[in-house]
Amino acid sequence: MSETLEQSFVKQLKENQNIVHKICRLYTTDSDAHNDLFQEITIQLWKAFPKFRGESKFSTWAYRVALNTAITLYRKSTRSVNTVTYEAQQHFFVQDEYNHEEEERLKLMYQAVQQLNDIEKALVYMYLEDKDYAEIAETLGISEVNARVKMNRIKGKLIKILNP
Amino acid sequence: MEELDLLKKAWQKDTQSFQQVTENEIYKMLHKNSSSSVKWILIISILEFVLWTFISVFFNTDEYIKQMHAEEMMIYLKILTYVNYAVILWFLYCFYTNYVKISATTSTKQLMQDILRTRKTVQNYVWYNLGMMFVSMIIGFIMEFLYNPQLSVIKDKIAHDEGNGTIIKIVCILSVVMIVFLVIFWLFYKLLYGFLLRRLSNNYKELKKIDL
Repeated sequence: MSETLEQSFVKQLKENQNIVHKICRLYTTDSDAHNDLFQEITIQLWKAFPKFRGESKFSTWAYRVALNTAITLYRKSTRSVNTVTYEAQQHFFVQDEYNHEEEERLKLMYQAVQQLNDIEKALVYMYLEDKDYAEIAETLGISEVNARVKMNRIKGKLIKILNP
Repeated sequence: MEELDLLKKAWQKDTQSFQQVTENEIYKMLHKNSSSSVKWILIISILEFVLWTFISVFFNTDEYIKQMHAEEMMIYLKILTYVNYAVILWFLYCFYTNYVKISATTSTKQLMQDILRTRKTVQNYVWYNLGMMFVSMIIGFIMEFLYNPQLSVIKDKIAHDEGNGTIIKIVCILSVVMIVFLVIFWLFYKLLYGFLLRRLSNNYKELKKIDL
């Protein structure tokens, strides 16, 4: 019984691993820390898995646990660095369909996001994942109105970072 | 914001930038140890409970009272001991229920609150024990004063004192010792939990600010 639970967990996590990777990329600055956080999130997901009853999609459930781990449970400090250093970030910008100018803008934008604090990153993450404000509010435990207000402030902050 | 939407587009299309983890690697990760802050809080909390329970049991005053022929005090100390045990059990129960409640599937704010509450329980336990120690010291001092024949010299001195010079001196010394002790303790805890919880409490403050 427990073996099939483990199998089903591993299979689903493998299929949805980019959710976790994207959070790691946002919250860490080198590949060692990335792998470290990935592992911690995996452990936390596995610990919480018995409570996952399939009411929501695995991915919806997983990104909440993963975010909670990155913001709350993960112990090692992850300082934000201005320069984009490691591979997972480099690859991100080398997508064929973007021209050089767009690539440059993307890079700057991503660097700006990296300078936000943990909570702001969580909001941006969910925004990038196209979650609606109701879901963002519920995940963080704040009101929907305040989630919206905060997101607008973050946008303002990003503009300021981009145009100092 | 145009830039953010550009990023969003790229973000959602992006599936190739990560080196994919295999099923085998995930299996291996499942059996590795977590290094989450909650785990460390649990370990340190249990050590604290053990340490303080050990101290309160170890400092058994029965023998001491017999030596001093202060049997009439015995009944009060017995009551105090049982009350103390009841309080310890209550703390343990609270700690356990708090800990069980911690779950990565609740909202971020709730999770942080649960973790901070768990730690608060342990902190209160430590303060309770320090308070008990303080009370015991005062009771001990009074008993010494009342029953220990070796202290009659001081008693004489106090009796012959004009004003209250000697007794004030004694109280001052005891207070200073206690305050120094408390400050050292407080610093130790600030350091210990500061290290573990700095990030969490900063994020918690940040999150609370949003909802103001």
